Amino acid sequence: MTSSVGSKGVRLVLSITLAVITAVTMIPLIWMLFMSFKTNSEIYSTPLSLPSSFSLENYSRAMETLNIGRMYVNTAYVALMSVGIALVISFMSSYALSRMTFRNPNLQKALKQYMLLGLMISPFILLFPMYRISVATNIYNTFWALILPYIATQLSFNSLLFVNFFKGLPVEVEEAALIDGCNLPQMCWRVIAPMAMPVIITVVIFNILYVWNEYPLASILIRKPELYTLSMGASMFKGAYSVDNAGIVAASVLIIVPQLVFYGFFQRYIVDGMTAGAVKG
Amino acid sequence: MHWLSKKKNLFIMMMPTLIIYSVYIIAAVFIAIYYSFTKYSGIGKPMFYGFKNYMRVFEDRFFWVSLKNTFIVLVISLVFLTILGFLIANIFRVKRRGNNLSKALVFSPAIISPIIVGIIWLYILDPEIGLLNAVLQSLGLEDWMQIWIGGTVLSPYMYAIIFIWRQMGYITTIFVAGLNMIPGEVYESAEIDGASGWQRMIYITIPMVRGTFTIVMLLVITGVFKIFEFVVQLTNGGPNHLSEVLVTYSYSVTFMNGEYGYGMALATVTFIITLFLSTLYNFTTRDKEGAK
Repeated sequence: MTSSVGSKGVRLVLSITLAVITAVTMIPLIWMLFMSFKTNSEIYSTPLSLPSSFSLENYSRAMETLNIGRMYVNTAYVALMSVGIALVISFMSSYALSRMTFRNPNLQKALKQYMLLGLMISPFILLFPMYRISVATNIYNTFWALILPYIATQLSFNSLLFVNFFKGLPVEVEEAALIDGCNLPQMCWRVIAPMAMPVIITVVIFNILYVWNEYPLASILIRKPELYTLSMGASMFKGAYSVDNAGIVAASVLIIVPQLVFYGFFQRYIVDGMTAGAVKG
Repeated sequence: MHWLSKKKNLFIMMMPTLIIYSVYIIAAVFIAIYYSFTKYSGIGKPMFYGFKNYMRVFEDRFFWVSLKNTFIVLVISLVFLTILGFLIANIFRVKRRGNNLSKALVFSPAIISPIIVGIIWLYILDPEIGLLNAVLQSLGLEDWMQIWIGGTVLSPYMYAIIFIWRQMGYITTIFVAGLNMIPGEVYESAEIDGASGWQRMIYITIPMVRGTFTIVMLLVITGVFKIFEFVVQLTNGGPNHLSEVLVTYSYSVTFMNGEYGYGMALATVTFIITLFLSTLYNFTTRDKEGAK
């Protein structure tokens, strides 16, 4: 493709096309940023003008109305717990399914398939059952009501990536470790986990993004405002700020900007993680 | 590895995953199906209701409306995301300055929380205070101003635009990965044989990324059936359920109306439609590749 598309005119047209596409994609985000500095009357009376001053007033009002800091802490806690637990237990089960010996090898194969069924199941059919389960187990309206379903929804994806990874890993290292008298926990954490680091990073980033942004489950399993995650809190902006559009926009920017910064730092891992999930899933 | 595979070890390794997964995913699907055969409003015990909920699904006007809306989003997204995604990926392949920055920026909407995506687009599409109508008015194009969202016609088309905005960078990245797997020698030998740029595109590039097209279309199909948050934010399905998509309609019947039995029948039917579409698509593409 490189040499013959090389005519200068064509290249210029393509470059311009690309610049336009990029600009159009960014307009909604830039627009939000502008609006967050405007007053409510400016938003209504002169919608297209630039903000008259870059004051942070909307932001401080947004922080007073809702406890956004608290929502950050809640989301981080739920993400840390669910991603951490899902990572450890799916690592263990995938290792057992790919490397250990079952009495009945057919059971082993069947369980591998069983773990992948979740990839086909839409989360929306699970909402009401998960609500019923959390009521029945008395954890409704606690963080665990969210953490356990979040763990469950990560397991199939993790299993797919881990089992595929173990399949391609030569057994010699493990055999050598065994001869040196290595036991099972040592095998997992000292020998396999370091080798699996790239997959682990992919799994963690993919899942953190999922949990951080998840809304449908949070909307039915959490009722107390002090337990709200960011998505849940954001869904309440319209009600909480009522006609204060500038406040809604400022509160939204307070959620977008940290996400974009995170993305800026981990861009390669995020893109790899999301595409790995697509290509392998 | 045999030595470590004592029964106790296997048990410890497998149990946490198996229990959580079996309860919250597998059993949950059966719980949903069970409720779809009952009448249940949250009080007392669910009453067995046979297939009545399912009969009602097919007579429910709003089910057909939300099915139609979902398919509008699906068709528009499929056409634009596959074609534009593929073309943009090809532009990205020609090396130039600023490519990486463009790629990063175009991808960025995919990581923004979907609830916030709804808020962002509310301030663009809202007929009263949205950017779009304000721009049209200032250009003197009052006739073009529309009730982009919350009316009776345009909402599903707007969902499609938002979905495309959010997924374009992601889909493009997948196409770029597919294009990079084509070995360079293929193009070199085609060039020696005198193939033009278009010929190479049609006879080499497109056939060689066919697998990627399959993946992309499957991703779009499953992705469209997960569109939820920005529908809730933008229209909440209104007015009078006319802007619902399948998942928001079953959510609203279940959790807003408290008709759990009927809601689960809707959720089950939606789930079957998704499964059917993706398996059907998988089969047809696999057949073609097998025949080749």
